[in-house]
Formats: sequence, structure tokens, C-alpha cells
Amino acid sequence: MVRRAHRQTSPLLWLILGAVFLALGGLGILVFQKDGDPYRTVEKLRAEDYLENANSLRGNTYQIEGVIAHALGSSPEKGRLFSLRTGQGDRECPLPILVPPGYRDLNLQKGQRYRVKVRVNDAGLLEVEEMTKS
Amino acid sequence: MLSLESVELSVPSTDIPLLSGITLSLPASHFGAIVGPSGCGKSTLLKTIAGILPHTGGTIHWQGRNLDEEDLAPHELGYVPQFTCAQPRLTVGENLRYAARLRRSDPLTAIQSLVEKVEEETGLTDLDGRRAGVLSGGQLRRLGLAMELTTNPSLLLADEVTSGLDPKSEEEITALLARLAREPGRLVLLVTHSLRFLEQYDSVTVLAGGKLAYAAHPGGLGSYFNVSSPEEIYPALAERDTSAWAEEWNTSPAELGFAIEAVVEDLADESRRKDQLEPSTPGLMAQAAIWFSRRLKLFWRDRTQVFLQLALLLVFPLVVTLFAYQGLPGVRNMTLSPDADVVQQLRETLAFTVQSSRVGTLVSGLAMFQVILLALMGSNNSSREVVGERAVLEKEKLAGLRPGAVLAGMTAFLGLMVMVQSAWMTLFVRAVCQFPGDLLGQFLPFCLLTAAMTSLCLAISSWSSTSEQASLGSLYLVGFQLPLSGAILALPEFLGWITRPAISAYWAWSGYLQTLKDTRFYDLVRTISETPLAGSEISLWILVLHFGFGLFLTYLGIRRSDWR
Repeated sequence: MVRRAHRQTSPLLWLILGAVFLALGGLGILVFQKDGDPYRTVEKLRAEDYLENANSLRGNTYQIEGVIAHALGSSPEKGRLFSLRTGQGDRECPLPILVPPGYRDLNLQKGQRYRVKVRVNDAGLLEVEEMTKS
Repeated sequence: MLSLESVELSVPSTDIPLLSGITLSLPASHFGAIVGPSGCGKSTLLKTIAGILPHTGGTIHWQGRNLDEEDLAPHELGYVPQFTCAQPRLTVGENLRYAARLRRSDPLTAIQSLVEKVEEETGLTDLDGRRAGVLSGGQLRRLGLAMELTTNPSLLLADEVTSGLDPKSEEEITALLARLAREPGRLVLLVTHSLRFLEQYDSVTVLAGGKLAYAAHPGGLGSYFNVSSPEEIYPALAERDTSAWAEEWNTSPAELGFAIEAVVEDLADESRRKDQLEPSTPGLMAQAAIWFSRRLKLFWRDRTQVFLQLALLLVFPLVVTLFAYQGLPGVRNMTLSPDADVVQQLRETLAFTVQSSRVGTLVSGLAMFQVILLALMGSNNSSREVVGERAVLEKEKLAGLRPGAVLAGMTAFLGLMVMVQSAWMTLFVRAVCQFPGDLLGQFLPFCLLTAAMTSLCLAISSWSSTSEQASLGSLYLVGFQLPLSGAILALPEFLGWITRPAISAYWAWSGYLQTLKDTRFYDLVRTISETPLAGSEISLWILVLHFGFGLFLTYLGIRRSDWR
């Protein structure tokens, strides 16, 4: 038995320590990333499909990410219509999103980046169901 | 009775053993001296008996038990090292009370009575209220002895406690040790270079080159070494090879006076001591509370340290606010209408880009500036906390202080500093610069960042050999936070993925900026920074892990043996 005054740390303990912290780190990232992405089960919208035939997508729910470009119109009953710039470079594409009147308090400004859960409504417009800044 | 049988001590760095073939038996109620020229292994032998150095051969028995199988209990052993273990900023009485409280779970009244008894025994009664830092060398040695006597040890080992003292103090300390050895069942061993006052010892052990040259009554020294005065012993030792002395002693060992009556008396003494109530060591939390209370007292008594901490606390947030003392600037938004002409839109976009660059950089920079200054405070809190007190810590561990208690006490003390530092930084900068966002959400990443840096620097301190090494290590840790966080310059993506998990500053910066998510400032920071921002929960989790990792490393660092 090692006497009290010259106790040393076993290399095995170092390995266990390293493994435990790596596992905890990985577990935390896994848990929080999962919880932190509310749209993880929602399919991403392919802008080309939408532009080609929006009517065929009616009733479907998608997620899109983009930057607010312009306010295209506003109505107290229907809400605000914005163009959202999605994609980058050659694949950059503006999409119209309709923000319902329920989101009146949301301070939407040009240049803000959002992740949006949208439903393609009967008019073929992308109607916002949820939106969060990204 | 202490018995050493063929004790050897070898170290890998040299072929010559530090101790070789030491066979020795010393009874209780006995005062023995271990003498010899410099480098002969006197202190090494004492440390081997105490268990500080692990012997590589032979056995050591104390009161009939093999110490390799059952170590000395903390209260059984009193070890007085060459250095002082007393805290210079505490009084003699406080040093003794804290020593006793850390080692015994007795009520405070009993501790006070014990301290008074020990002070009387060691002649320190009149010095009770005097600070240890102003004591003379002799008085300090007495205090060191008195601290060991608080557990009434049966084996008292004193390493060179008379060295460097004036002759009168040397005589007084030797006489004190001789008196202490009269206690039934107690063995006192003194390592000394001095050959004065030999008549005070019951036995003298002479070492030469790590080997035993003599171990018997001091009266026989003259005839054995064929000298007329003790001062001639060392020159006589040098005249022959150490192996020759060892061989001569092995073939004709003198009697140490182990008559059957002495052995019976020894056993009776040991039995009487065992019948006495042995002091029990306080529990972990009790020791932690005592350690914390002593640390707090030491901090308040160190005016320079208090002033430095206050200066950092006030100046650092002030420096941050210099960059936005009139508050964060307002943000001018671009027109959302697509009706404006192209030139006007381009002008607006250009103005917005300039604004993004200016305000975004300011907000991101202010967040990172706070993070780096808090990291510096964390490093300053703890980089010398363990390494600066290592010798005393090792001594206190030997006397029964638990590493877990030290860590808990340190965590409580440093936790107080961390809370004050991070709360003041968050509140002051927020108030002056008028930062929007959730206050608690901003405090948490800063508090955890300061705690993480404090604990990581504490870990560096607990694994460093010198204060300089610890300071340098901590400085590098803080220094790498800024470039590797990606807050100023974005790292290549793959490098960012590798480094960011280990960079506390990145997570605190991200966590803080997330609280601005509902404001335009967040958008502007996102416009200018290519480094991705982590979510609040992940940021806090990783900071908690950094903090925990630092604490665990510190625990191992405190627990390991590091006698120098």
C-alpha cells in the first residue's frame, strides 16, 4: 500500500477523466442542439420546386432560411408580405413570405436573417407559421 | 518502538542509493539525534520514516506494525520540516488554533484549552497575540513544534529545527525536544548537523554516505570514532570510505540499552497511549469551512492583495466603458419599400454596411473585451493559489487535511471573488453602455467564464513546480483565448471546429451575444462576423464543463504528493 505522503495519480484515472469529459461534452451538444432546433423535423424548401409550380405544394409545410429583402405589401386582415432572399451566390433566390397579423409585434427589418417555418397556402404563398432569428 | 530493517532508498537518476542497509531500532520515551555531514542522508532518512519518500527496500515498523501495510495515522505523526508552516499574517494563537481545528474535531473550548497547554509547554504563552511574521527564528521553530503538538503525536520528527539558530536558541529548542521526549510512549527524532549538547540525547545515529556508521548512546561516540571531542567526528568520518564505516558498524553494533526492562516499559507506554482518547480528524466539510475561514482572514490581512483586487474590480469595467461611455449608438434601418430608385437603394445599403461594420464591431468587441478582462481576473484569482502554498499544503495533508476539503475551501473562497467580479462587470458595463437584453442571461456566461478560467488556472497552479511556471501557464491560457475564439478574426472552418470546444472565451462571447438576439445589434454582429455563434444553452453547458474539468484537475493536483 502506498503511504499517504507520496500518493500519485494513476494514468488510468487520466484516461477515465478525459473520456468522461469528452462524453459529457458530446452528450450536451447532442441534447442542446436537438432541443435548440425546433424545425429539425420540417423539410427544407427547394426554391426551384416552389418557383416551378407553387400550386402543387399547397398545404405542405417547409422550413426556409434567408435575409429579409423588401416589404412587398401590407394588409390589416392578411398581414405583411416580404421578399426573403434565400441561398447564396448563383443560387440566391427571393421568395415571398406572408407574415400573418398575429406577428404584428415582430420588428422585421431589411437585412435580418431568419429561419422560418412556412405553409404553402391556398393562394400559393408561403405563410409564416413560426419564425426565429438565426 | 520504531524499527527499520535494511531500509534502502534508490532514485532512478543515480546508481548510488540515497540510503542503504539502514537497520535501527528506537524505543518510545526516547530522544534520538540523527547526525552526519552534509548530504549524508539525514533528512532523507527522516522523510523516509515519515513516509514522504518511498523506501525502495527493507521495512519500517512502528509499534509493531508494518507501515507499508498500515500507515501512521495523522495524529500519530508530528513532522516539523526545515521551513516554517506558520502563516506569517496570523498570530501565534491563531496559527495554533487553526492547526488544532484542522486536525481535531474537538469543541472550540477544548481547542482553546489545548492551545493554551501547548503554548505553555513550548514557552509561547506570552507571544499568543504576536504575528508569526515578526517572530525570531527560534520562536518560529517553537511555533512549528507547537503546531505539531496539537495532536499529541507519539512519533515526533524534527528536521534541522535547530539549524541557523544562535547557540542559546539552539540549546533551548534541544532542551524543549528532550522534555517532549519524556512524555510516555513518545519518540522524538531530531535531524541536526550540530554536535553540541550531545548529552541531551538518549541515542545518536551517525550517517555517512547514506549508510549507518553508528547508532548508540552518545557516550560511546568518542571511543568508537577514536576522537577526543565530538567536533572531530566528521573529519574522522571523511578519512575512510563510507562502506568501511558501515561494515564496521554492522559487525560490531553497540548496545542501545534494550534491556528486557526497557522493552517491557516501552510496551507499557504504548499501551497507556492507546488507552488515551485518540483525537479524531474533522470531517471533510468541517475542514473545508475551517480552511475557508482561514483563507478569508489571510486575504483581508494582505492589504496589497485586497487593494489589487479592488483596483482590478473597478478599473477593468471602467476601461470597457471608455469605448461606449455615451451608450451604444442607435441603429438606422434601411427602407423596406422596394419603390426607392436604385441609386437611393445603393446609397442606403452602403450606409448600412458602414454602420454594420462600426456598430457590429463595437458590440462584438465590447462583449469580447469584457470576456477577456474577466478571464484575466480569473487567472489572477488562482494562478498562484496552490503552488505558492505547496510546501505548507503538503505538510497539512500529512497532518490529516483532506485534498477534497482544500478544494472545497478554495472553491468557496474563489467562488465569492468570481461572483463579485462577474456581477460588477455585467452590471456596470450594461448600465453605462446601455446594453439591452436579459440581465441574468448576460451574467451567467460571464460568471461561468470567470469560474472556468479560475478553475483552469487553479489546475495549472496545482500541477506547476514554481509560481513563475504557473503564472506563465495561466498567461498563455488567457492569451490564446482571444485569437482562437474567432471573435476578431474568423479561423479557417476546420480549425475553428477543433479549437473552439476548448476556448472558454468563445462560449462566453456567444452566450452573451445571444441575449441581444431580439435587437438589431445582434444582426449587425452577424453581418460582420464570419464565426458562427453558439446557442445559449450549449454555451453555458460547455462553460460548466470547463469549470468542472478545471476543478477535477485541481483535485488531482492537490492530491498528488509534491514535496520539494
